[in-house]
Amino acid sequence: MHRVLLVDDDIELSAMLAEYFRQEGYMVSAVHDGEQGVTTALSGRHDIVILDVMMPRLTGVEVLRQIRQHSRMPVLMLTARGDDIDRILGLELGADDYVPKPCTPRELVARVRAILRRGSEPSAAPSDTAGTISSGPLTLWPKRLTAHWQGRPLELTATEFRLLETLARQAGQIVSKQTMSESALGRPLARFDRSIDVHISSIRHKLGIRADGRTWIQTVRGQGYLLVKD
Amino acid sequence: MGRLFWKFFVAFWLASVLVGFSIFGLTWLLRWLEPDGKQSYEAERMVLALNSTAAVLGQADVAGARALLGSLVQQGVKPEIYVVDESGRELLGRTLPAADRRDWRLVGDNSYTRVVQPSGHRYVVFARQSEAEAALSKARPMPPPAAIPWIVVLLVSLGIAWRLARHFSRPIRSLRSAIRSMAEGKLDTRVAPIHPRHEDEISELGHDFNRMAQRLQQLVGAQQRLLHDVSHELRSPLARLQAAIGLARQRPDIASLELMLERIERESGRLDSLVGELLTLARLESGAGQIVRETVDLVELVTAIADDARFEAESNERQLVLEGSGEFVTFVGAELLYRAFENVIRNAVKFTQAGSCVTVRLHAGAERFTLEVLDRGPGVDPGLLEDIFQPFHRAGAGGVEGFGLGLAIAQRAVQTHGGEIGASLRDGGGLAVQISLPRTPAPA
Repeated sequence: MHRVLLVDDDIELSAMLAEYFRQEGYMVSAVHDGEQGVTTALSGRHDIVILDVMMPRLTGVEVLRQIRQHSRMPVLMLTARGDDIDRILGLELGADDYVPKPCTPRELVARVRAILRRGSEPSAAPSDTAGTISSGPLTLWPKRLTAHWQGRPLELTATEFRLLETLARQAGQIVSKQTMSESALGRPLARFDRSIDVHISSIRHKLGIRADGRTWIQTVRGQGYLLVKD
Repeated sequence: MGRLFWKFFVAFWLASVLVGFSIFGLTWLLRWLEPDGKQSYEAERMVLALNSTAAVLGQADVAGARALLGSLVQQGVKPEIYVVDESGRELLGRTLPAADRRDWRLVGDNSYTRVVQPSGHRYVVFARQSEAEAALSKARPMPPPAAIPWIVVLLVSLGIAWRLARHFSRPIRSLRSAIRSMAEGKLDTRVAPIHPRHEDEISELGHDFNRMAQRLQQLVGAQQRLLHDVSHELRSPLARLQAAIGLARQRPDIASLELMLERIERESGRLDSLVGELLTLARLESGAGQIVRETVDLVELVTAIADDARFEAESNERQLVLEGSGEFVTFVGAELLYRAFENVIRNAVKFTQAGSCVTVRLHAGAERFTLEVLDRGPGVDPGLLEDIFQPFHRAGAGGVEGFGLGLAIAQRAVQTHGGEIGASLRDGGGLAVQISLPRTPAPA
């Protein structure tokens, strides 16, 4: 059973959402301010954090920043509809995805499920190397959510891992953003949605520059992205 | 260079050229009418000395001529006058350079004269050639040609007109570009100080522009914050509504359905009152034009509110005491003031500690009505006493009902009526809100 941590200052809403998630088979704990959110999230007892951006005192963005300093755990942001800055900032700081608030609880559960799906596959022993993907200097172990780049461990959030995995499975070919959104975020791409671009930019930053000065992940304008295959 | 620059420039320049020309033209005219006097004073003096000496000699008064010459020499009159007789002797016995003796005839008429005495003695009276020439050539200084002062007038007025036109047109251009950039939405635009060393009306215009820009920026910022807060406030009940609907869908048994419907009802009620309060606030902020005024007794109004609030307070183990009585009949927006007083009093009841007492103290003076509402609640941070009147400012932590609009509405309602509202901390804990309103007579 997955353990969800809900960080939202709206006590009544938290109670209702918690109830909904329990009915859907999740274990939920809720905290109502940022400081508590950070300490509870870092206790390691939860599989995913649902984080409201608009909170008094410590904002959601700041909570995310502090969580990311210590943990790669999946984080889903609840952002204000139409507030692009918080959304982009959240994704840049390593949030796995965002849901505009207000949203239906069904949508929220679906998004949480999509993010956790990878981890819910038959649990693999650390030594399990089945399904290993290799492309050039990149090696991915999808069952363990671990990656090596040029022989060194690569720190990726769950969403970044799945995006890179999608690209690596079709290395050298163009992958459309739509495909990437569906396979990595578990949802179709919304209009004007820049989430994929922000995640890719973050991965690019982690991979560095090729010897020929180009980036490892190429943008094919109007079509999608491509992982360069050597 | 804009059109204004050229207007200033041309107008001022023409004016100063005109003035300059008339002054110089007039003096030039006066000098032109003056009798001509082109010879230098030295030349005039030389001619005078020559003629006097010749006249004295002509009277056969050689001794007199000698005395005259002597006194001229003594006074150091230049050029010196010499007198030579037919035998070539100088009257005073002075020796003359050979050149002067030979060539004196060549000098102009004014520098020598011949004298024949009745006795037949002949003399020549003259000045030394070189000195005479020098004196005669040294004409009285000529007035400069008339064109020079005119050119000077032109140049000077050109310079002054240029400076003056720039003095006016430059700050106006900088103001204009600042206003344009404001119009493009850059509200942080400010103009640099104009004529900082010599403050004048144009500098004040610059200061006023900056003040206006700052005020606009503040107002627009406040509006944006308000809009942001409003959207956030609307979002919360909507999110709860959706959660409740989701829960109702999830467990469609009658009992939980009933529970969720109740929640949905409560949330829509909240949305409704939020929208109502926002509309009131918006109406108040947009100006006092639409207030419906009527004649009411404010004491009666407060008493009615206090009675209602007391009922509510007592059911929550709190007390409410009303102090003061009388009558204060005035012509006001009764509904707005009712809301203002109610918001303040209900706030006090809401925040005061269980078992404590809220004091509502009113005073109906001759010209002013004052109301004081004192609670024993948590109070506020002394630095935030002004902020509690800002929309969506919530004094308490979570868990307190309301949107934080009550005091904002109260403040605007009181201010619309020309009154004042303020908050202070009470000795012994709690908050005191003071309202003061002037009497407005009903129109006849």
